Amino acid sequence: MGSEWSLVFFTSFVDLGCGLFVALAINEWFSINPQVRWKGAIAVLVALGMGGISSVLHLGHPERIFGALGHPTSGIFLESSMIGITGICVLVYIFALNRNATAQTLKAITLVGSIPAVILAFAVGDSYVMASRPAWDTLVLPFAYLGSAAVMGCFAYRILVVNPSDSLVSQSTLVSQGLLILQAALVIAYVVTLSNAPYSDASRSATQVLAGGFAPLFWGAIVIVGLLIPFVLNTIKKESLATSISATLGLVCVFIGAAAFRVLMFNLGTTVWQFF
Amino acid sequence: MKNTMVIDLDRCIGCYSCEIACKMENDVALGVYYNKVLTIGPTGTFPDIEQYFLPTICQQCYDAPCVGVCPTGATYKSADGTVLVNKELCIGCKYCMMACPYGARSFNETQKVVEKCTLCGQLQAIGEKPACVKVCCSKARLFGDIDDPKSDVSIALREAGSDNIHSLPDSGNHPSVKYILHRKTATWQATPPKETWRTTNQSGRKGDKQHG
Repeated sequence: MGSEWSLVFFTSFVDLGCGLFVALAINEWFSINPQVRWKGAIAVLVALGMGGISSVLHLGHPERIFGALGHPTSGIFLESSMIGITGICVLVYIFALNRNATAQTLKAITLVGSIPAVILAFAVGDSYVMASRPAWDTLVLPFAYLGSAAVMGCFAYRILVVNPSDSLVSQSTLVSQGLLILQAALVIAYVVTLSNAPYSDASRSATQVLAGGFAPLFWGAIVIVGLLIPFVLNTIKKESLATSISATLGLVCVFIGAAAFRVLMFNLGTTVWQFF
Repeated sequence: MKNTMVIDLDRCIGCYSCEIACKMENDVALGVYYNKVLTIGPTGTFPDIEQYFLPTICQQCYDAPCVGVCPTGATYKSADGTVLVNKELCIGCKYCMMACPYGARSFNETQKVVEKCTLCGQLQAIGEKPACVKVCCSKARLFGDIDDPKSDVSIALREAGSDNIHSLPDSGNHPSVKYILHRKTATWQATPPKETWRTTNQSGRKGDKQHG
């Protein structure tokens, strides 16, 4: 199948929003930086909104989407219900901020909102786990989606922090590097899974990814842009590059990496036996 | 009850009349197929080479994954076991196309919905058989209730013997369509076909394209 750009942007933006909302929850629970609250909440809403719009663009008949509410077993039901609940939690968080709610209230709201956010980040990948597409039939896929949500959320959070303390910079650097290493491990795990997938076919082989037609996408966009450059940006000293510029460049890179991983996934998604 | 199809590959001569009849009966768009005849082979080493034709359609799976993933219930199983699409409910999300192991579904760009082989329900309603079955000049296609031991399909399968009955690869969907192929005709190829002549357009059949 093709690259399915609307689904690529749907899952990328939704994962960005989910990751950032969880970062905001951590920010609340550890009372790190109250300045990020408003900007962060608006950014989460924008990301979820852009994801939602992208998903609608994919549908042939979006006006019939409410029919999905009657079939709770489908992946789309889980995605649409979780995006709705997460969005409501963000709105409640904004409402609470507007009413100068106590720190305990904000902690409670973000904790409750983090649950559907994490489920949503996982579910947008889990919807593609299906036996008909051997390259997708692995739980590594949703975990890679979840991992990209965490990485994007971490970099997005770093952009929002104004004048961070040295300890916060070093801690966030350590966390983002750890998440990048975890994401690299998930990418490797996915390639290994591909090489062992049933109904082997050249169109979805690990060789095709590592040295074939998808090699520029894999090595260029996923490995170099999506993993290596953000990792290097993290290690650059504060004096040589402002933290916000480093974080912005890092977020652009990890977003490109996340989108490229999804493009790769869709292009590898050939069926067991393609008739037509 | 499970209406399905049994296709006798010993009889199929690869005339493609089933493809044409299907497209005409169901007004299938250019470049889209509900029913496509693949050429499997030639395999082996000269002079011992084999080839057979494989008419492919929706496999009317017992555990159809397309039904499970449909978010609106547009894809459903009818009382006779046929997997169908209610176009009035379809939102065009294409998840069913992704879930089909064989790429047997296609997206109607005009109506913005997914469609597939219906086993010609409109013909069954007036007591006729699907168009591809009616038109098959070598009587290779049989249609009926596979749960009824007296049906054409059940009799054909009994007569063929279990060693000569084949199914497409099963990834848990349990396809109900059966193929009869005796060893004297050719060896059943369990691996996916590598048909290239249509995609390269060397045959002059332009407009063929990939779906799913």
